[in-house]
Amino acid sequence: MQLLQSFIAQDIISHGLSMGADFVDVFIEKTQNEGFVFKNSRAEDTQSGIIFGIGIRLIYGKQALYGYTNSTDREELLRITTLLGSRIGKENQTHAPINFEKLVYPKIPTVTDREVDAKYKLSFLKKIDEQLRTDQKVSQVMLNYSRKNQHVEIYNSEGLIATEMRPYIRLFHQVVMKDGNLQTEASFGPGAIGGWEFMEGLDTKEICETLLKQANTTLYAAPCPAGKMPVVIDNAFGGVIFHEACGHLLETTSVEKKASVFWDKMGEKIAHSALSAVDDGTIAGSWGSLSIDDEGMPTQRTSLIENGILKRFIVDRLGETKTGHKRTGSGRRQSYKFAPASRMRNTFIEKGPHDLSELILSVPNGLYAKKMGGGSVDPSTGQFNFSVQEAYLIKDGKITTPVKGATLIGTGPEVMTKISMVGKNLELMAGMCGSVSGSIPTTVGQPCIKVDEILVGGQA
Amino acid sequence: MNNVSDLKADADLILSTAKSLKMSSQNGSIAEYKVSSSQILGIRVIKDGAVGISYTEALDDDSLKLMVKQAIENSQANEPNPLEKILDLTGAVSDEASYPESATDIKLKTQKALELESAVKALDSRVVAVPYNSYSENEYMSHYLSSKGRSTTYSDKIYSITSSALLDDKGKKANYYDYHIAHTFAELQWNKVVENSLFHARNILEEKALPTGKYHVRFSPDSLKSLIECFSNFYSAKSAMDKVNPWANNLGAQVISKDLSIVDSPDYAQSFRISKFDSEGVLQKPMAIIQDGVLQSFLHNSVTANYFKTQTTGHASRGASSSLNVSGTHFLIQGKNQKPLPSKYMEVIQMDGLHSGANRVTGNFSVAVKGYLWENGQKTMTFGNITLSGNLMELLNNVEVVGDKVESSTDLSFFSVPLVFNELSIAGA
Repeated sequence: MQLLQSFIAQDIISHGLSMGADFVDVFIEKTQNEGFVFKNSRAEDTQSGIIFGIGIRLIYGKQALYGYTNSTDREELLRITTLLGSRIGKENQTHAPINFEKLVYPKIPTVTDREVDAKYKLSFLKKIDEQLRTDQKVSQVMLNYSRKNQHVEIYNSEGLIATEMRPYIRLFHQVVMKDGNLQTEASFGPGAIGGWEFMEGLDTKEICETLLKQANTTLYAAPCPAGKMPVVIDNAFGGVIFHEACGHLLETTSVEKKASVFWDKMGEKIAHSALSAVDDGTIAGSWGSLSIDDEGMPTQRTSLIENGILKRFIVDRLGETKTGHKRTGSGRRQSYKFAPASRMRNTFIEKGPHDLSELILSVPNGLYAKKMGGGSVDPSTGQFNFSVQEAYLIKDGKITTPVKGATLIGTGPEVMTKISMVGKNLELMAGMCGSVSGSIPTTVGQPCIKVDEILVGGQA
Repeated sequence: MNNVSDLKADADLILSTAKSLKMSSQNGSIAEYKVSSSQILGIRVIKDGAVGISYTEALDDDSLKLMVKQAIENSQANEPNPLEKILDLTGAVSDEASYPESATDIKLKTQKALELESAVKALDSRVVAVPYNSYSENEYMSHYLSSKGRSTTYSDKIYSITSSALLDDKGKKANYYDYHIAHTFAELQWNKVVENSLFHARNILEEKALPTGKYHVRFSPDSLKSLIECFSNFYSAKSAMDKVNPWANNLGAQVISKDLSIVDSPDYAQSFRISKFDSEGVLQKPMAIIQDGVLQSFLHNSVTANYFKTQTTGHASRGASSSLNVSGTHFLIQGKNQKPLPSKYMEVIQMDGLHSGANRVTGNFSVAVKGYLWENGQKTMTFGNITLSGNLMELLNNVEVVGDKVESSTDLSFFSVPLVFNELSIAGA
């Protein structure tokens, strides 16, 4: 199904060029959303909806002019193009005819879908709810199921026509546990590109057991001591530390403004030689994968850091124009309401040679961060902060007392040089990343790593 | 709505429209120029006691029919909920903004937008970039219509400007940003955002870690607003109903210091925008949440009010694509039993990581902070690279009122007398 008649998109592009733009693209999106919230052991919030709109971008030199609307009316779209183009001040330009051609590209495999009705989905959630409520201390279970089918069409003044269907599916689990005045919560949110078979592939028994174990541990945990110490960060969502402390700093959105501490470090050693990292949009079924980016470029696997040396930035079209670094298929956006920007996809630290036990054994006195929470970074200074959801003290090379309330803070350049050991147990985990072009699905990941020293916030 | 009536269901509709303009500059020219117009229509259907929600951004006849059909189907997937009903209110109420101003030429807007970058760079040779700078104007309109006959209209226009300063002094970097919002172009305080950004960034260049220990802490109004709003579930009847409100069983009990009272004040005169009605069309009025430390009431919509067998307080919130929730309007923290400022305290001006470093169920938080150390009435150092940890309930119990002049957040939605919190944990050097 075509979202916008081709001739209208082509008219917009032609009009944009005639207004003096160097480059024009049109992004059309129709997204079908569906969601349930299963709470208080029942479906409480079932909703669905359609997002539809068109984004028009004119690039002139290093300037981006962007407009969007819900209307498919040709005159309205040309009016917006005129409004944008008038900023350039070069009307009635001639341009060579454009031969539009549909892009053929390799499709990233997604998890298979199959038709199931709402009642079946709800019965699936009900079973998880029951499994989590087997612990009498559980006071609430919230299961947030979301499904999104994003259909995009992209036209540009280089003659590109590209379309992609992107199915997203995710189930966010949250369990609240209470014992007297003590309360805690634990959460887990696996997601994928694909359909219902992803849900059926989840090991719900293991997920529930892990969540209950985590909640039981943190419920009675002592406050985390504060101070600088070595920290072993376990795999999967532990990768949020690389995402925040380094990944955002490698996006040309920051690099082009010199608002990244790594903007002039290409080819230099920015991390410990034990560390290599990639941003890979091609992993089958992975939450952060996509076949083409939101500028219509086929996605790729981009090696960012090899043995501590900075090899590539994460680059979109405007980033290429502004920095000279080649595009990496990383132009992404939440929706047509945002101009694309350089953003991460599936970003992770690659496997190393060690077992987790070796990392723990190497720490005389420190912290084992088994499960990380979220975090944030100021790319311009590299300063970051992360919360830790589940943590234990390490004494004499052994995991000991569980602790709660730990936060890790530091700067990206500093912590990257202090990752001295990397484990074998690489795992990825779905998340949402918020930045200049909105909130997008990204995957973080890593094997377990050891940071020689980092400031742990806790109780003084 | 006629379709809904034919299906023997109740419903309410929300139509939201928006128009915006945004400009930001880089290296002396406008690098981003963005214009938009958008709309979204959402419906909440209640059929046979069950609720279904659907929405669409395409407003052609087919899309509207599909939206109603999906809402009905969604309601059929849910179990009946006797608590949720379309309120039996009728009549039209309106809250449409009117801020007279003469038209501003786009050339002047562009020039002023460019100055948000150039003015910062001109004031200090160490400024290497102004990573956050923008001028934007946004017009919103929202219409509500219920099958019972209630209709409301709300509109507003907001101008906002942002500037920042990224300084590099011999490899040491510091960044700070500030913003301002106004209802008219003429009210925008351009110099304020430039000067504030630079003032704090210059100071942050000198930041040092404080020694680990316990400190008295005074939050800037914006930081305190972030902290209080992060734990909005503490005041929410919806959270109490969902069993994620630690104060759920504490109505009538003392929950914070007796020196403090917290009021939700929709018509607070100093607020950016007085709020007249909520998302169910219920008229709003000031309400004490906490009086002299004692929890008086939660914020309610009609569903939570039915659950707790009380009256809605007019705090329903719902967007075109979301379900019914609860939210406050303007928070006002009042205080008594004023004490002098302690001789040594930390003034927190920036707090990072609250979104991930706060546990809304326990009230625990741990965040990265920056600010100034005050000793004997003098700023003696700028601190940074430290974390501050605490618990909201303990924090609000171990507090001193240190002034009577109400201070406001930058967005004029949060107001408080000056407060100093005692014995908060700092992890630093």
